[in-house]
This record gives sequence, C-alpha cells and structure tokens, in this order.
Amino acid sequence: FPPAFQSIPRNPIVLDLAYNCITFPDIENRMKKTRKGLISRFWG
Amino acid sequence: MAPKSKEKPKAPTPQPPPAIEDLFASLHRNIDKSDYEKAVKDADQVLSIAPNDEDAIRCKVVALIKDDKIDDALSVIQSSRNLPIDLGFQKAYCLYRQNKLEEASACLRGRERDPETLLLEAQILYRQGNAAACADVYQKLQKSGIETAEVNLVASLVSAGKSSQVQKALEAW
Repeated sequence: FPPAFQSIPRNPIVLDLAYNCITFPDIENRMKKTRKGLISRFWG
Repeated sequence: MAPKSKEKPKAPTPQPPPAIEDLFASLHRNIDKSDYEKAVKDADQVLSIAPNDEDAIRCKVVALIKDDKIDDALSVIQSSRNLPIDLGFQKAYCLYRQNKLEEASACLRGRERDPETLLLEAQILYRQGNAAACADVYQKLQKSGIETAEVNLVASLVSAGKSSQVQKALEAW
C-alpha cells in the first residue's frame, strides 16, 4: 500500500469534422463590383 | 484662356435604405472577421428587404451555427422549409449537435453520399455506439483526402475493439 499506478486506456479523440463542412455560400457576386472603370480605379 | 477643366461633380449619394449589395458587402466583411453576430444582423437586414433570399438565409444559418446558436439555426431552417432551399445537411448537423441522433440520421437518409454527408453519418454512428459501422464509413472516406479524418478512423477502430487494425489502417491511409 498504496497500490502502484496503472495505466488505463483513455477514450480516443473524435474530431467534429462535419463542422468544417458547414460553410458560407459564395456571396462575392452579390456585392457591388469594385472595379467600375478607369477613373474609380485611380480614385479607388 | 481655355476654361479649366472642372472637377467632376461627385456622384450623388442616395441615402435610402442600404442597398442589398452594401449589405452583402458588410456581411462578407463580418464573415471574414468571424463576427457572426453582426453577420446575422446583416443577413436579417437583407431578409427584411428580400425575405426569401437564398444566400442571406444560408449565411444566417451558417453564422448561427458558427456562433453556437444551434437552436436558433434550427428554427431558421424550420421556417424556410417551404422554400426551395436545401438545408438538409445543416439541419442534420444541428440535430446531431442536440444529440437527436435518430432524427439527424433520418435527415441524412436519401441524400447524395458525398464526403460531408459521410463525415456526419460517421459521427452520428460513433455517438450511437456503433463504432464498427463508423470505422467502415471512414474507410470509405480514405480517398477523399479529408484532413485529420484518420484521427476519427483510429478512434472508431479502437472503440470497436479493433485496435490491432489501427497500424495497418494508418499505413494504408
């Protein structure tokens, strides 16, 4: 006494990989085009 | 003397309610900054103008999930059920997060068995204690090149009492 330490198997790790598949849609085309023309390109 | 070229008058800046394009620009910025609360507000503003806007609804659902507001995400999904927008995967994921595993699994039934569906299916099986079936699904995902999926494969093999297969499975991965 005291009893010797023993190793015990730990619960294996599981990752929530499905979470990474929850992604935003591409909304670039819903925004104003930033390059309107030559002038706004200089002033932009 | 030639008249000096006048400076171009500035384009008139209309001030009525923000244009949808501006709202999407703001939404985009907030998503980039991972500020999901503001992203939800932007999506709500779009929806106040265009209630059935698919991009806005999708953004709202995803932002709520990323903000850990699973109940809210589900109720948006629920209220969009009559629109032609497929939110089945998101719904299944929310149910999985609420530990409603039977419902989640039912929600995935009939869907195309693409990698995301398989990943979620495997996670549901694991939680249901069906580690062997879960391991089979991960084996199927081997070729999809999903990063760190082998971690879950190992976990499911170990839980299924098939630790002896881990090394071989990892070598084949």
